[in-house]
Amino acid sequence: MLVRAVLAGDSAAFAMLVDRHAPACLRFASRMLGNREDAEDVTQEAFVRAHRALSRYDDQMRFRTWVMSILANRCRTALLHRHRRTSRVVIDGAAVEQAVGPENGDAELRDAIERALARLDPVQREAFVLKHVEMLSYDEMSAITGAGVSALKMRVQRACDRLQALLREDGYE
Amino acid sequence: MSDQREENGLTGALDRAAHLLRDEPAPSAAWRDAVLRSAAADGARRWSVRPWVAIAACAACVLAGAALTYGVLRERGGAAAAATTAADGSVRPSPLPVRFAVEAPGAVHVSIVGDFNRWNPAGLPLHRMPDGRTWVVEVGLPPGRYAYAFVVDGRLARDPTAAESGADDFGVPNSVVLVGGS
Repeated sequence: MLVRAVLAGDSAAFAMLVDRHAPACLRFASRMLGNREDAEDVTQEAFVRAHRALSRYDDQMRFRTWVMSILANRCRTALLHRHRRTSRVVIDGAAVEQAVGPENGDAELRDAIERALARLDPVQREAFVLKHVEMLSYDEMSAITGAGVSALKMRVQRACDRLQALLREDGYE
Repeated sequence: MSDQREENGLTGALDRAAHLLRDEPAPSAAWRDAVLRSAAADGARRWSVRPWVAIAACAACVLAGAALTYGVLRERGGAAAAATTAADGSVRPSPLPVRFAVEAPGAVHVSIVGDFNRWNPAGLPLHRMPDGRTWVVEVGLPPGRYAYAFVVDGRLARDPTAAESGADDFGVPNSVVLVGGS
């Protein structure tokens, strides 16, 4: 197991853990924070913390779930200390009206969903991203967030309702 | 599980949008290297010595630093303050200016990562000199030993002029600078 190898002093094993889990971590952090730069910062921090705490890792839990729980905490902290960087999501009604439309393809839909995500309550955004972007089970989500399964289902449902409404405002059904 | 999917099943635009959100560019090599370097540096700081050894070493450093500072100040006739006194009475060495320079003709962006900025690739950009090939930055660093590397257009590069190279814990090149101490 890679974690045991790292603890035994095999530094290459930690590199393998990073290679295996960093893409999902960066994606989650990018969706939570709305820009890649902040996502890289918090993900780096999460891996450093994970490396530091590796001896306390319980292998009953999947490593991805464990590192994601560290990352989710870092994202929450980052959101509390926001405004260090300007989000690349710009809400400009006129530009949106001009550019966005179902006929304009995936890039516009992607912009629209990113704008909509940015407008969600962070708790709902976290639940939506874990469920529908990271495709995790509710048990894994519960382990990551510390919230109960029922609460998470509620958050996901509300997030979906709100996102659908926001997409509809942009002309997407 | 399938029940959960049913409950929160996505349809229409939101379903397509969720698929788009799953696309994310792969981590850059520079970022990966920065993660590995910062984890190694953090691990070295924390676990390479037993706590009591670290405490003793810190105490010895403080004493040595205080003695050194005292000696330097006496030598200079106390004209310049080379250290600051903290509220608890301990003497902290002042940062010393350290100039990092690298020749990278044709590079678009050069920055420096190291123990002093937690190997953050966005940390410290270098400025291109008028000759168009030399990139420079000056950093204030307290006396100590720092591993570092340049990031030239996203790729880590060892400083060819550094007197010392660090151990490449994860196959990541790095150099070492010693600040003060002589």
